[in-house]
Amino acid sequence: MRVNVDLRLKDVPGQLIGALEPVSKNDGNIVGVVHSHDQVSAGRIGVNLTFEVSNEKTLDKIFSEWREKGVDILKIDQLFETFTLEYVIVGDVSPAEMKRITDGIQALGDVESIDVRYSISSSNERAALISGKVRKKETIKLANRFMRERSKKAGFLIVRGFGD
Amino acid sequence: MDVVLVGFGTVGQGVAESIYLKNNLFQEGFGDDLRVVAAFDSKTYVIDKKGLDPIDLVKAKTNKGVIGQRRKEDIKDMLPEIEYDVLVEMTPTNIVDARPGLDHFRAALSAGKDIVTSNKGPLALKFRELSRLAQKNRCMMRFEASVGGATPVINLASELLKCERISSIRGIMNGTCNFILSRMESEGLPWEPALREAQQMGFAETDPSYDIDGIDSACKVAILANAIMNKDVTVHDVERTGIRGINLDAVNLAAQEKKVVRLIGEITEKGVEVAPRLIPRGHPLSISGTLNTFHIQTDLAGEITVAGRGAGRYETASAVMSDLWALMRARKGSAHRH
Repeated sequence: MRVNVDLRLKDVPGQLIGALEPVSKNDGNIVGVVHSHDQVSAGRIGVNLTFEVSNEKTLDKIFSEWREKGVDILKIDQLFETFTLEYVIVGDVSPAEMKRITDGIQALGDVESIDVRYSISSSNERAALISGKVRKKETIKLANRFMRERSKKAGFLIVRGFGD
Repeated sequence: MDVVLVGFGTVGQGVAESIYLKNNLFQEGFGDDLRVVAAFDSKTYVIDKKGLDPIDLVKAKTNKGVIGQRRKEDIKDMLPEIEYDVLVEMTPTNIVDARPGLDHFRAALSAGKDIVTSNKGPLALKFRELSRLAQKNRCMMRFEASVGGATPVINLASELLKCERISSIRGIMNGTCNFILSRMESEGLPWEPALREAQQMGFAETDPSYDIDGIDSACKVAILANAIMNKDVTVHDVERTGIRGINLDAVNLAAQEKKVVRLIGEITEKGVEVAPRLIPRGHPLSISGTLNTFHIQTDLAGEITVAGRGAGRYETASAVMSDLWALMRARKGSAHRH
């Protein structure tokens, strides 16, 4: 899991290294650190830290070690890595078929967002773009399989994204 | 090194001319040259164990339409009677039963002769059988010209990247499809006029199914999967979707997302596939025009991309010549000239 936290540290040398230590000691992976030197308040300085840990138990251990070190934890956000789903559909792009597709993809779970956009065309040739974000790479595989089955049933052509 | 040329169409003539043009390099490099001791076109043949003049063969084909006297037997039955080292097999690809190329392959390999080929059929349908036959008879089968024309993807991956673990090969493997999709995107041409333009320019056949339905790309995917990624597949195992039906709306929707539609052949650990895909602009596989492009993912080197002309008389001959060079080197040791 990926976590983003706002910390307040004493504005004295060595505090930042001390704050990062519990993360590295518990096999966490530090992704980014923003150290706000210009925002000192009541002798404390703000640090925004993004890191990855394997589970919540490890995360709790890191929080507990921060408290012992006198580090203030102001805000905690759990972040999810997302993967892009993308299909251009050529053929039957009726609203009913698009709803069947978006409902089917939503039902796979771990879907953050899904959108449909239709082409603007004066001809009979139509196409639609289905794009979305999912939280697991595995969901893209499931969605690809679902789309292949739908394309066989409904007879449309799929142009798949390149992210899988 | 004595060679037999089988197939004397565009590629065969290009190879004959290239042998004439480049034989001095073989002589300088190895102290030996390439002697064409027999040549076959679809109906006629000519044999001379002292060596034939390759340019005379091309002239005969151009002026008379044939290169020699009419054959009464199949080529496969005549090959055992000829003394040679390498069969250069350049008959047209047939993916129904791979014949007559497959018969020529079997005749040569069974007799312990090396093969250089541009013919996809036998490789896309019978790769494992032919590899085993070559191994059993201690001979070599080289086929750079069968995939990507002049683009040296097979020899790059199987020789220069020998120490890499290759996890995927993705590529634009058919110049005709790429030309059609590029024209739709850049000129706003609908499908039919873009296809007609490709036919008028000689990129697409009158019956374009072999290209646009992804069959040609699927053959190349099967060959790369067997030769480079050690799979055991035929063209029939490749999941295949062509570009027939891609319309201008689809191309325009992709463009709004800063993407292009390209027919991509793909070999990964999970499978083999040919399908139209959405490629981000600027990616090496978003290339326009008729070039073939291969994008190889490796563990040490990372991503490697190689692009080149995928078809043509001299382009395909270039790949055949590099394979003939490799066979000469295997026989003679390293070239004297570096």
